[in-house]
Amino acid sequence: MSNVIGIKEERKNLKVGDSTLRQEFETTDMALFVRTSEESMNDWNRQRIVDALIRETYIDAGTAKEIAKEVEDLIFSSKIKMITAPLIRELVNTKLIERGLEQARKMHTRLGMPLYDVDQLILHPNKENANVPHGPEATNLTLAERIKKEYALLSVFSQETADAHMRGDIHLHDLGFVDRPYCSGQSLEYIKRFGLSLPNSIAMAKPAKHPEVLLAHMVKFAAALQSNFAGAIGWDSVNLFFAPYLVGMSDRDLEQLAQMMIFEFSQQAVARGGQAIFTDLNLYWEVPKHFENVPAIGPGGVTTGKNYSDYLRESQRFAWALFNVYLDGDGSGRPFFFPKPLVHITEKFFQTPGHFDFLHHICEVASEKGNTYFVLDRGETAKISECCRLSFKLEQSDLEDAKEPWKMRYCALQNVTLNLPRIAYLAKGEDTRLFAHLTEFIEIAVKAHLEKKAFIEKLLSIGERGPLALLAMNRDGSPYLRMHRVSYLIGMVGLNEMVQIHTGQEMHQSKQAFKFGLKVIAHMKLLVDKMSERYGMHFVLEQTPAESTAYRFAKLDLRYHSPQSGHIVKGDLSKGEVYYTNSTYLNNSAVLNPIERVRQEGLFHPLIEAGALTHIWLGEAKPSKTSLANFVIKTFRQTQNDQIAFSPEFTTCNACNRTSRGLRSICSYCGSKEVDGITRITGYFTKLSSWNKGKLGELRNRYRNQAYLQTKEGDTVLMAG
Amino acid sequence: MFPWGPPEPSIRNGKNGRAGQGLGFPPPGRGALNLTMVEIKGFLETSFIEWPGRICAVLFLPHCNFRCPYCHNHPLIFYPEEFVSIALEDVLGRLQSFEGWIDGVCITGGEPTLHPDLSNLIHQLKARGFPVKLDTNGSNPDIIERLLEERTIDVISMDVKAPLDPFSYRKAVGSPVDFHRILRSIEIIKRGKVEYQFRMTVVPTLHGMEEIQTLAKQLRVGPRFILQNFNPENPLDESLRRIHPYDPAFLKEIEHQIQAIG
Repeated sequence: MSNVIGIKEERKNLKVGDSTLRQEFETTDMALFVRTSEESMNDWNRQRIVDALIRETYIDAGTAKEIAKEVEDLIFSSKIKMITAPLIRELVNTKLIERGLEQARKMHTRLGMPLYDVDQLILHPNKENANVPHGPEATNLTLAERIKKEYALLSVFSQETADAHMRGDIHLHDLGFVDRPYCSGQSLEYIKRFGLSLPNSIAMAKPAKHPEVLLAHMVKFAAALQSNFAGAIGWDSVNLFFAPYLVGMSDRDLEQLAQMMIFEFSQQAVARGGQAIFTDLNLYWEVPKHFENVPAIGPGGVTTGKNYSDYLRESQRFAWALFNVYLDGDGSGRPFFFPKPLVHITEKFFQTPGHFDFLHHICEVASEKGNTYFVLDRGETAKISECCRLSFKLEQSDLEDAKEPWKMRYCALQNVTLNLPRIAYLAKGEDTRLFAHLTEFIEIAVKAHLEKKAFIEKLLSIGERGPLALLAMNRDGSPYLRMHRVSYLIGMVGLNEMVQIHTGQEMHQSKQAFKFGLKVIAHMKLLVDKMSERYGMHFVLEQTPAESTAYRFAKLDLRYHSPQSGHIVKGDLSKGEVYYTNSTYLNNSAVLNPIERVRQEGLFHPLIEAGALTHIWLGEAKPSKTSLANFVIKTFRQTQNDQIAFSPEFTTCNACNRTSRGLRSICSYCGSKEVDGITRITGYFTKLSSWNKGKLGELRNRYRNQAYLQTKEGDTVLMAG
Repeated sequence: MFPWGPPEPSIRNGKNGRAGQGLGFPPPGRGALNLTMVEIKGFLETSFIEWPGRICAVLFLPHCNFRCPYCHNHPLIFYPEEFVSIALEDVLGRLQSFEGWIDGVCITGGEPTLHPDLSNLIHQLKARGFPVKLDTNGSNPDIIERLLEERTIDVISMDVKAPLDPFSYRKAVGSPVDFHRILRSIEIIKRGKVEYQFRMTVVPTLHGMEEIQTLAKQLRVGPRFILQNFNPENPLDESLRRIHPYDPAFLKEIEHQIQAIG
């Protein structure tokens, strides 16, 4: 509205008369009255400046009048031909600054974007999140995010927290979604039992009677949740909870249902900002122990008279069918990007008949398409996984909830990531300083969490009539979002570089360096536990996916900690493709075999409660499914690793629509150059054309477990397998 | 659009060094063994490909008596002396640190049977409890026979290059070849003293459906005959770079058909 076209439109209203004018501006933004100088100076009313100042800030009427007068003089004397509302506002701001009214200036800030930026945004794709396509919906999303981000940094968070973010000491994730929690995990039991009855929705659906309807409810509910959460929407034990609906279904129908589920969740362009819903399907081959004796809910939302342990067969058949679909890939043979299938490997998995065949089945998918995540739940732990690698351990209270599974809904309210290399630069080689700064950074992160919590609680307090109506919805005696159960994530980026700066060696280069890395994370764990106790909130460490944060921190450190940082950041400085190694990972380019990776990286995993993952980059190699299964079993038995995923690479051709193995610059089928690469960016697969520079730098460096020859000069020649 | 090579720069600058230096594994004990033998030029510590079902290490030996135009490991056969050799004791030391993980070692090349002390290498590996798989082009039937009769190795995989007639074979191998030795190797391997497979790398210009089927009928080994797709990335004969490999799904289908020929 603040552009020239908007101005001319409004002029028509202005002429109608004073009453119309008043109404018009009361219903929109007061500051929007703008006009060309020639005619509208007649309508100029400096009282509007006074009103705005008094309404928005705490300054006194006298000062407000003075300022309005000064601004008016300035505008008249400048003889400019046109003025916009934002300009008037900024002129007022300069007067506030002249008087040292810093606080008032802040409160009077206008949020928005320069014309040039909007132009760029509309014309060019967003690279911060590869899951956002480019289109009008996506642009809307980005525009809204920009404003909300500014709002968050000015108004939700304190200056101290906001500055720490701006400096790059910490990263507050998803600031553009400041008015929503971060991510969530749910149970299908909720919609099975209560049907689909969303606040603000005009139609209420009773509990589903047919599997297709349940699926429709699931997809719609996921979409509704996506508009209330910033990140991932996870679903627990999907195959098991579907099972009571699948009794007597033919293989063909079952496969059809599996196909519907995966296509419904994978096809973009329907949900928020044209973004596919970041969906996780947690799957089990067995009936998880905590659900064995739970009465099963079946069609119509009523209990079937049986327990879930009676639905093992249907549950297994469905899981198998889902992986058949993953194996085929989409219409052009590409891997499905979403929903991500997470298979839980547990002690009970190995006691359940048929597990070996199923393991080979999902390993074949891992080899062919890469989709499978192997979540390794050892001992008595049970977990449900969300987001890129976030998982929640089911604790005693959850196991109580498990008797009424619809209560099992989880949420991480926010994710704050620490820039670990920054701490090492500041410490200048001294241990004491390093740990002191680490504590300081964690304290800032905790403060950020307290501020976000206060803000979300404010929104939730308005209940079902407020902006977070869906989360306030109360169907079973407590709101959908159970605030007393939420987690607060504290992530890290660049442990490897922190250790490198501090000890002179990267973590894979010496035992000592590696041990120091472990010490840092153990200390972080200790600190967050202390904070949890102090505030009665659940702070947990997480391996931040850091799709753009690893890039952002590296860039900021190049600015603030040069020249030292120039030797530390990874990637290609000349191309600007710089990054820090994600979370607690070992250098992506280090020649480490997969055994070393799962073993060494796994040593961090018990400390990182909210979930951790080791990537095994496959490149174009297509491993044997039985060898992969062998590896998964050994990783389960012989390491502490929490989760592994194998990542192949693909080239998809936009000309002939076929997909081949490996990253290539021309299509190996038709020779076209209109190709795009596909592989895993952090926790999900996506097209390379949407990657940010930092991640591209990482991709170039990834060691893909290839054999090589080393020349006497130290050069390398790769071998073919 | 994207010259994604492998991660050469970072390996090349030597920053990461050989994996053996990493993660604080103790350096393998020295001097205890008398291991003057085969030069090992390449050592992939973990492969999920070479030996289905197993996690295996792969050793690459230099030199070859064939010049297959589609060979993609040709640096190893043309100028092996330019590459650093890896001491067997280092290899054994590394293997030891993955005890409980690695269930076999695959020896490939080049052509391993060209090395007179191959059996010593195999012996050293077996002595440490590692099953051994040998890749060969079948040009040394005597050595193969001895290894198989004594059951020194656990699996043998022979590369077959073309239908079994001297003309086709000569063409596919790119160098003079004593065709009878190939036939003898096949005969020895098919006795089945140890598990075996025949593997054919399929190149569209060299091998059509007919050639593949002919070979399958000559071998008559059912599912022990497997097809591998040609990789145009860096073949010995540069003109093959322009050749598009067969569609993997198509090749799979052919493999399925020929494996029915028992």
